[in-house]
Parts: sequence; C-alpha cells; structure tokens
Amino acid sequence: MKFELKIDGVDRPIELLRDGPHCRFRLGDAPERAAHVETPEPEMYSVLLDGLSYDTSVEETPACLVVVVDGHRFEIEVRDPRRWKRGGAAVGAEGLQTVLAPMPGKIVRVLIAPGDAVEAGRGLIVVEAMKMQNEMKATRAGRVLSVAVREGATVSAGEVLATIE
Amino acid sequence: MLQFGFMFRKVLIANRGEIAVRVMRTLREMGIASVAVYSDADRTSKHVRMADEAEHVGPSLSSESYLRMDRILDAARKHGAEAIHPGYGFLSENADFAAACDEAGIAFIGPSAHSIRMMGSKTAARQTSIAAGVPVVPGTDHGVSLDQAREFASTNGYPILLKAVAGGGGKGMRRVDRDHDLESALRNASSEAERSFRNSEVYVEKLIEHPRHIEIQLMGDQHGTMIHLGERECSIQRRHQKVIEECPSPLVEQHLEMRHAMGQAAIRAARAAGYYNAGTVEFLVDQDRRFYFLEMNTRLQVEHPVTELVTGLDLVRLQIEIAAGGRLPLTQQQVSWRGSAIECRIYAEDPYNDFLPYPGKITRLSRPLGPGVRVDGCIYAGFAVPMEYDPLLAKLAVWAGTRADSTGRMIRALGEYDVGGIRTNIGFFRQILEDPEFRAGNLHTGFIEEFFERTQRPRPSDRLVAVAALAAAVHSQSRTTAAAQPDTPSSAWRQEGRNGLLR
Repeated sequence: MKFELKIDGVDRPIELLRDGPHCRFRLGDAPERAAHVETPEPEMYSVLLDGLSYDTSVEETPACLVVVVDGHRFEIEVRDPRRWKRGGAAVGAEGLQTVLAPMPGKIVRVLIAPGDAVEAGRGLIVVEAMKMQNEMKATRAGRVLSVAVREGATVSAGEVLATIE
Repeated sequence: MLQFGFMFRKVLIANRGEIAVRVMRTLREMGIASVAVYSDADRTSKHVRMADEAEHVGPSLSSESYLRMDRILDAARKHGAEAIHPGYGFLSENADFAAACDEAGIAFIGPSAHSIRMMGSKTAARQTSIAAGVPVVPGTDHGVSLDQAREFASTNGYPILLKAVAGGGGKGMRRVDRDHDLESALRNASSEAERSFRNSEVYVEKLIEHPRHIEIQLMGDQHGTMIHLGERECSIQRRHQKVIEECPSPLVEQHLEMRHAMGQAAIRAARAAGYYNAGTVEFLVDQDRRFYFLEMNTRLQVEHPVTELVTGLDLVRLQIEIAAGGRLPLTQQQVSWRGSAIECRIYAEDPYNDFLPYPGKITRLSRPLGPGVRVDGCIYAGFAVPMEYDPLLAKLAVWAGTRADSTGRMIRALGEYDVGGIRTNIGFFRQILEDPEFRAGNLHTGFIEEFFERTQRPRPSDRLVAVAALAAAVHSQSRTTAAAQPDTPSSAWRQEGRNGLLR
C-alpha cells in the first residue's frame, strides 16, 4: 500500500511492500528495506531497522500525525487516497489571513469586530492559558472578515479565531 | 511554642499539583495523616487521589479556591488538621494567612507572619538586607511612577528591569533597553502585576548583564539556630522562570569560598528578619563573581530536591519538625555536600513556539527509572492538565558523583520520559544538556535566548526519518484496516477518540 507522506513539510512517499511484523518498505526512490515492527503498547511502535532499535510514538492530532523517535518530533501528514483526505487546504488562499489559536486556552479579549480595518501588528485577540496571555497580532494590514470566537470561549490549538482579508 | 517531642497527627496541604504530592509523601513517611484541598478543576488530580482526606474549597479560579484563606482554614478545622503546609505559590508567602493560621491555633509550616512581612515584599526585603550589610543591586526601594522610573534610568543608565513589588515567578517583570519602550513596558508590567498579585506597584532595578542566579537554602529552628544548606544554581531560565537547577553551582564548585560568603550573607539577611523554618535567599552573581541580594523566598522552593539529593536531607521533614517546635538535628559543620544533582522542570509547553503553555489530556505516560533518578510529579495517563494553573507537570532530578556524570544521567533519563497527548519541554532539555556551553558550566540567565540564537534544532538522520515514516505508514494502515470493519467495538472507541480530537 502506498502513502503520500508530508514529513515536516517535505513530500516523502512511502510504499509498504509487505505487512506484518516482518515488513518491507520503500521510502521515495531509495532501495527497498526490511524492518521489524511491533506495537507493544497503544500509540507505541517498536521498530528494528538495520539492527538498531527505535521506540517510536505515533499520536493522532487534528492536523497530522505526531511521531516522536529518539527525542525528535516529526509532524507527518498522511494522504492515502482512500482516507485521511484533508479538505480545508484552501484556507491559505492569497490575501486571506487566518488567525489561529497558538495553544489551547481561553479567549480573554476580542479587540476587533467584523468590518474593522486593521494595520499590521495590531492586536486582535488575546488567548490565555495557565496565566500566560498571548496577544494574536495582524501580520499585515487588512479588513476583518469574520471573528469566530467570543470572550470567555475555550479554544483548542489550531482553531480559527478570525479571518482578515 | 510547642513542647519538645510533640508531633502533628494531621496536616492540611494548602496547595495542589506536584508540591502537594511531594509534601504528602513525607507526611506519610512520618506517619502523619494528610488533608488535600481541591478546586472544581482538580477533583481527579493526583494530590486528591493520594491524600488520606480531601475537602473541596471552590471553583477552578484560584482566587475562588486555593487563595481563599477562609475556606482553607474551615477545611483545616473541619478535618482537625493541626498544621498547614502552604507549599509554594498560592498562600505560601502571604503574611495574613500565616497570621490567620496562628489565630486559629493551627501551626503554619513556614516562617512567622512578621518575617514574611519583612521579606515577602521585594522592596521591604531589600531594606532589611541593606540594614544587615548584604549587598543589593541598585534600585528604587518602592513602587514608581513613570517619571520616577525615567529619573532612575537617567541616573543609572539602561538597561533597567521593572519588577512587581509583590511579585515572583517572572510575572510583572520587564526588561527595558531604551526610553522609548519605558512607558508601555511599565503599563504592561503593572497590569500583569495587578492580575497576578492584586497589587499593580512596580519598582525599578539596574539590570546586570549576563548574571548568574545562585541561591542559598536556609533552615532555621524556633530556638535561634540557623544554618545554610549550600547553594543552587538556577541560571537556566525562560521568561524569568527557572527551568534547570543544580547543586552544587559549577561556579561555586570552583570557588568554594563563595559558598561560605554567600551562606553567611544569607544568614545575616534572614536573621535581621527574625527568620525561622525553610527559606531561600536569591543572589545575582556578576561576571566578576560579586554577588547581590535579589530577594528572599519565604517558603520551600520548587527546586529543593537538588539540595536534598546532595545533602541527603529531607527539607519537608525538617520544615515539619521545626514547625512542631523541634530543634535542628544538625549543625553547620555537619552539613556536607556530596556529588552533583540536576533538576529539569517538565512543563506542558511548546519550547519551539515561545514556550506557550500546552494544556490537554495526557494519553500516554512512561517515566524514567533506574539509578539516581527522582521524579516529583502529579500526572498520570488519562489526566487532563488543567488550563487554570501553572503548567508544571513534574520535576525530574538526577544525582551522580560528578556534574559530567549527572548531565549524562539526565540526558538518559529524559530519553526515557515519554508524555503523550500534549507538548512538553523534554526534548528541548536534551538539547540544552548536550550543549558544550552548558557542559562547560558557562551559565547565565540569558542562556536560553542565546542558545536559540546560536543553535538550530538538530536535524534528524535519514534513518530516523525512515523510522518515523514507517511508523506513520504502519499506523495509517492499521487505521484503514480498522475502518473497514466498522462494527468492531474497538473502532467505535477509536471513532469516539477521533471525534474528541476534532471537537
């Protein structure tokens, strides 16, 4: 089975040529390789490759898989044509600024309303978690198209807070 | 004062999180019953589950629960607690609370209300220290207006540091490099101080460039004996908050006369305030190894485990014995320092995104074990880290014979530490500990900022990328297989889990 992976923003197609603990795979144009993979605990993969042992965690998040091996954290988007299809890629359309929550938290202040003209650097929305306040600023000038949150609302990381055109 | 040989039978811990768990452990070892207090957000927190008794004290907001003296004291009376351990933060440095405990006939495990007043506010502490002949950094001894701050800067020169009069933990603190930034910095510091401490007063200090933060642990009984337990170096900070602490300080280790000089200065400052129980005097040390009194923390410190590992003492036990009227069980000459200990504060935060807090549910947890490792934590798999409180999850401390060995041991232990579901600074600590500057002991409070400027995130090897890709592919394939059989109970759970992630 083939998977179109995007690892930390770089396209890395991978083909699983044989399933099961004794698996064979090909990463990109590299030669076929053999590895031994077990799942001893939920979210954990023990991978033996080239005689080396790697304990690997795989976690699902709304945006991607987060894979951690030997302290390195990889963000991996998986595109299997039959699954994992991600819509919403049009969010980054030209001229549209999307303000995303940088962390899970609570909206403490909304400083803008739809229709407001904003300048670059203008504070838009203040998110607070664990007593730390973080002011989201406009990256460039524009007009507020929508505000998706109200003061007091709880948001998760990556949630759209506002859009600016 | 309490009689010789007296010991409490039940103690209430007016705190939450890892420190409540830490205190409970010693109470249990001493055969003393523990009473936990908790807010709405903490019903299933570790300290509540672990305690012998527990009492609800209000909603999640700390000002409505952990900061409510009346409710904490009611809980103590209701459960028949004879003493209260305040931990750190919350009410631990609140003189009114210490006084209220006294009036209620409940022992406060800490210094007297009088000492907290003399040392609790940074400006009062400065005056006490100056009077005791302890060197201090030039600064105003009171809250300032914009004009007064400006005047101080023109006399002493930039950079200056704005600090909350009632502050701690970096809240309400701002560095100002030029006059242009002063007004807005003062406004922000003041509003942050108001929010955090209900006191908007801000004072000004001359900023010492590239200082080290080295502090002295004190312990004194109510019979007039006071000793120091050596230093801790806490120069590795982010946002003015310590994240790595060690004992001994690599600087002091090479200039042992500093330990004595700083220890004696700390004792002088504390004595001037009639101090007893555990306390810490913090010093800034400049590049010529001159030290300046910074502030005194009139409570147990977060980083006390490194002192415990090197001295072999249990600081919480000493605190409890002293509060019960006991005498210090050792003299200054009997204090010895053996080996090297390092502590890393494990936070729910993203070090590569400005250290923003990252609360959430912990899906997976595996803690380091093995030789010389100590974990003071409050988390478990399935625990949702509340977004209302400090994001400290655990403190990982290690001990070994030398600093080089304890550094290696810490890197090993961090590699074993796996926390799933949230982001933590565990991987970042490995980078710091592997850094040649850290290993050489070249520390200062701006270390992390500088580290980010001079280093890049390490690039993973091709093999590591292959392993990650393979794990992701195998994982996705198992998902596809599971989805093809929608009636199995496991996929229903998975679907629920996915829905949870997407909500």
